Amino acid sequence: MTSDSDKNAYPEPPRQTPVVDKQTALPNPALILTKLFYYSVDLPVTTFKELVDGIQSGNKQKYYHQKFRRVPDLTECTEGDYLCYYEAEMQWRRDYKVDQEIVKVVQERLRACQQREGASYQQNCANEIQQFSEVAKAYQSRYGDLGAYASSRKCLMKQKERMMAANAKA
Amino acid sequence: MVGMSVLRSAAAFAARLNPLKSGNFAPNLLSRTAIRTDKVAVRWESHGKQMFVIKPTGYYDTRFLKLLRFYILLTGIPVAVIVTAVNVFVGEAELAEIPEGYEPEHWEYYKHPITRWITRNFFDSPAKDYEKMMALIHIETEKAEMRLKQQEVRKHMRMNGDGPWFQIETLDKNLIDHSVKSTPDN
Repeated sequence: MTSDSDKNAYPEPPRQTPVVDKQTALPNPALILTKLFYYSVDLPVTTFKELVDGIQSGNKQKYYHQKFRRVPDLTECTEGDYLCYYEAEMQWRRDYKVDQEIVKVVQERLRACQQREGASYQQNCANEIQQFSEVAKAYQSRYGDLGAYASSRKCLMKQKERMMAANAKA
Repeated sequence: MVGMSVLRSAAAFAARLNPLKSGNFAPNLLSRTAIRTDKVAVRWESHGKQMFVIKPTGYYDTRFLKLLRFYILLTGIPVAVIVTAVNVFVGEAELAEIPEGYEPEHWEYYKHPITRWITRNFFDSPAKDYEKMMALIHIETEKAEMRLKQQEVRKHMRMNGDGPWFQIETLDKNLIDHSVKSTPDN
């Protein structure tokens, strides 16, 4: 569940709740409990929210996600150009945050898939599992053990080590 | 004794009788107004007998708790009221795509109205903060360059000696007295 209230700007994937197929005359306790929860918690909360939305509907403010221009990387900066270093560092930090959020989104998808499928998740969620393992491996290899004082320079040095290891192996 | 009925005296006699209690023998029972001294009618207040309970003073504790509650709620209640009013009547902003050709102000990138208000009225925009940091870095870069140049120039001037630095003032050559060695016979 995203924390943004407007789902038109950044929509969620479609829900995959299965259709109910009842084959017995006995009452379903899960249904009874969900109805109980609905009438005691869900309905009052929803009516209150609609009330409050009615009060606020006149003057709704808008907020946006900021778009940043791409600046030259750390590899494209001449040595001693500290301004270029600063801009590259800030861009790297923003990309780091974005990558963390990407990993969280993929994780959330896998979690939702496992919850949906229940006992047969390993078979039915193979796509999500594979996607998550790829993303996690990539994240680990790029940002893995940089630590709390991570910087673009340290990340670049880690990339250099990776390339050296790849060269030594080949 | 003459006007009194037999029933009344019998009732008075029976009321005073209690075979289990001491003192119930003949000389005590014969008089009409026998004063019982072992039982007395006591009038108590509504909450029972008032006791003098001895316990340590709670004055300082209650004073502290009252003051604590007072000073916490002095600003706590207005803050709670204001935040509730803002959340109910103004409400959080909605996410929208940036319209074409429109540059949002820096406070329009935040969701909660109080955050927007604070960033609008008190804080500089992130772009301005970025530029301030870049200005500082630029100043420090220039200082570092200047210092390196100065070191280089100093080294050269010291070594070559033909620059304005590292000149040692000597006396004027017109002041030298050459008369000591001006003729070959001195």
